[in-house]
Amino acid sequence: MNVLLCSINTLKELYDLSGVEVGQHFYWQIGSFQVHGQVLITSWVVIAILLGSAIIAVRNPQTIPTDSQNFFEYVLEFIRDVSKTQIGEEYGPWVPFIGTMFLFIFVSNWSGALLPWKIIQLPHGELAAPTNDINTTVALALLTSVAYFYAGLSKKGLGYFGKYIQPTPILLPINILEDFTKPLSLSFRLFGNILADELVVVVLVSLVPLVVPIPVMFLGLFTSGIQALIFATLAAAYIGESMEGHH
Amino acid sequence: MANTIMASTKPLFPSLSFTTPTSSSSSSPRVSLPKFQTPKISKTQLLSLSSSTLKSLSLLAATSLTLAPPSLAAEIEKAALFDFDLTLPIIAAEFLILMVALDKIYYTPLGKFMDERDAAIREKLNSVKDTSEEVKQLEEQAAAVLRAARAEISAALNAMKKETQLEVEQKLAEGRKKVEAELQEALANLEQQKEETIKSLDSQIAALSDNIVKKVLPI
Repeated sequence: MNVLLCSINTLKELYDLSGVEVGQHFYWQIGSFQVHGQVLITSWVVIAILLGSAIIAVRNPQTIPTDSQNFFEYVLEFIRDVSKTQIGEEYGPWVPFIGTMFLFIFVSNWSGALLPWKIIQLPHGELAAPTNDINTTVALALLTSVAYFYAGLSKKGLGYFGKYIQPTPILLPINILEDFTKPLSLSFRLFGNILADELVVVVLVSLVPLVVPIPVMFLGLFTSGIQALIFATLAAAYIGESMEGHH
Repeated sequence: MANTIMASTKPLFPSLSFTTPTSSSSSSPRVSLPKFQTPKISKTQLLSLSSSTLKSLSLLAATSLTLAPPSLAAEIEKAALFDFDLTLPIIAAEFLILMVALDKIYYTPLGKFMDERDAAIREKLNSVKDTSEEVKQLEEQAAAVLRAARAEISAALNAMKKETQLEVEQKLAEGRKKVEAELQEALANLEQQKEETIKSLDSQIAALSDNIVKKVLPI
């Protein structure tokens, strides 16, 4: 019996040592509902970073831009470019949505890779990128769905639903199914990529603490940026698709 | 959709199904899990055990370890990877607030500023094109002035040339007259001398002819 106990204890120690905490949350109780505290904390930090840097950089715009203003102008032009390519000439009103989608996901992902969250100990779970929680990604994906429905309905009225029987009514079930697969694939792609990336880094660090995880970390930074761009681009593409006339 | 995903999370805990076989049909997604009870054994008890009992126990442990992981996991914590709760709407609300705030702080003011600057630069470029026309006019004026100056100069030159020519011609005429006068004087002198010599020659000729006659005709 005691051998069993010993082996279990060693296993538990190993488990604690590796520090892989998947799907453990720092629960807060709000009324009768539970909330993932670690996600909210990191999302607040991300929002603070975004708002703070934007306020500092854009507070007093110069005709000849300063360094930070120049960077923010570059980002804005990039966002405008993405929206324009995907949505077309009427991209103007959608710049805030696409831009916030890109910036929030990008800063979230990079904060998970760059900020030393592990310094702050939580009683339960651990701080990480907000986007490695399924709640965040599903929230963003559902907002995208709402956005493209709103875009289509406001552009074409009820005629928007005509696209479900385009090009033939036979495709009706597939077209309806698409409305469910779009948010599903959006959310799971982002969630899976970010979670998997953080897991790979954590596991590699627990196995070989030096040098070896560094290329994986850089790969993670790269993936994070790409995922943010993919999410924003696809959101813009869906909006553009529902706004374009079916000829 | 959340419900469908939640249903898909159930196979994540397949080894727990023997404790709560009807968990997939229960309304609450959170399942109470059995705690792994570890009996407390003191060190003295450990030392008192013989090696033979240890051997037999190790076999037991090996078999029971295969059953251990689920209960071990349960003891540490259940892993809730697909755990939907109030976080989702809160994040959505946060996103919308962030969108409005960033629009007010960043996209609209900076975008407006950039567009205005673009317009100003374009305007300036256009005005630069206008001044190039002005420059053309000025160049034309300069060319006209140059032409006028050149014409003036050539006129003056012509006038001067005419004047000098007249002067030269006058002087030439004067010189010619003088030379002619001298020539005529010299010619007149020559004529006079000729006449004089002819006169003197005539008297000599008469004398000579008289002499010739006297010599040829002996009288």
